[in-house]
Amino acid sequence: MAAYVLLIAAIFPSIESSKELDDLMKSYPEPLKELFGIGSGSITSGPGYLDAELFSFMLPLFVLVLAIGSGARAFAGEEDAGRLELVLSYPVRRSHTVLAKGVAIAAEVVILCAVILVALALLDPVFGLDLAAGKTTSALVGLAVLGILHGWLALAVGTAVPSRALALGIPAALAAAAYLVGGLHELAGWLDPVRVVSSFWWIGSSPLQNGARGWGVLVVAVAALAVLAAATTLVDRRDLKVP
Amino acid sequence: MARRRIGYLAGDLRLSDRLTAREQLDSLVRLRGAAAPLRDTLCERLGVELDRPIRELSRGNRQKIGIVQAFMHRPDLAVLDEPTSGLDPLLQAEVRTLFRETAADGRTVFLSSHSLDEVQHTADRVGIIRSGRLIDVDRVETLRERAIRHVSIVFADHVDPAQFAALDGVRVERVENASVRLSAAEAAMDALVKAAARHRVVDLVSEPADLEEIFLELYREADDAD
Repeated sequence: MAAYVLLIAAIFPSIESSKELDDLMKSYPEPLKELFGIGSGSITSGPGYLDAELFSFMLPLFVLVLAIGSGARAFAGEEDAGRLELVLSYPVRRSHTVLAKGVAIAAEVVILCAVILVALALLDPVFGLDLAAGKTTSALVGLAVLGILHGWLALAVGTAVPSRALALGIPAALAAAAYLVGGLHELAGWLDPVRVVSSFWWIGSSPLQNGARGWGVLVVAVAALAVLAAATTLVDRRDLKVP
Repeated sequence: MARRRIGYLAGDLRLSDRLTAREQLDSLVRLRGAAAPLRDTLCERLGVELDRPIRELSRGNRQKIGIVQAFMHRPDLAVLDEPTSGLDPLLQAEVRTLFRETAADGRTVFLSSHSLDEVQHTADRVGIIRSGRLIDVDRVETLRERAIRHVSIVFADHVDPAQFAALDGVRVERVENASVRLSAAEAAMDALVKAAARHRVVDLVSEPADLEEIFLELYREADDAD
């Protein structure tokens, strides 16, 4: 991922000097720019360019794939492999096991986002990206919270039903729906009322230019905690599938 | 929590394949949150391969790790499902010795096994479960005494086996020249011996049935009752 960030950043100097691209982008309708993460700014500015190239799609995709994968592996995957039986025969509460796994998933996501943040900070002076430190940090906090929400969703689905496929599929489908609603609600007016269920909408678009929406990050974080809390109670309500 | 005092070994043991046995056991000790005083002696005694990744280990070598983790914290109760499966005969004997020592120490081992020979040689008391219902619990010796016994009698001359077959609870299994092999319920023994005593007896051997026959007998009875 760091290599991908490096590659994208390295291309920036040639984009920066391209006046034509800027004009082309300006001619796009506003909602479309929103969807592609260009926002109100310019794609030839550092933050505008990285918003479009990284933060509008690739970075969220990457963080979510990792988070959902970990979340599904942590419980549903371990149960599927028959390894949970031994762990739960030990003197640990199921709810504590789930909490510990939740912490591990969150730690993984946070470390990943921290690595991306450090990579951006290091690349900024090299390629003249001109990033605002506060907004960049806030963008990655938003991304981390988004990742944790979906990772914990995958964990929670695994505690509720013994199915690895569902633990992967449900959060992935929800993330995809949230992404589309968050990006398209301005374009498709009928989606507007449902935008409040989109985690992506709460975090906000073009985070390097705008910073993540503070209240939105809080809302998503609370939702994530609620999901984790649900997981700790759901896990006590069923029999374990053993090989 | 009761699980502190329990050691458990699943019938189909799954471990973290990428860890070594040492890492797996370290992780389980941490999970238990208590000392594991027997860990090192058990590893040594069973010859656990500590430093190779578990996925490279044979079934028997994995099973050893399972046994170590079930006994390392000196549990008051060990619940073991087919604990000796995959082990070579020498190790099976060693593990059975471990069970006996645990029992002699005043602790308890619940052993589930399909090898009735193993049960017969290891267990004090046996419960027989059929379709999820406990249909009998008794000491192994009592079970064997209660069950039929095999009686072989060698007579001096040929004897008509029909007189034994006519007795209640006696079945003639084989007749060979002057020797007769019978199976008899405990209640029929007196009549059988008295019937035999009417002839010149050269030898008489009575052996209790082994657990396998008792097991099959109990299953047959339960089938009849259904």
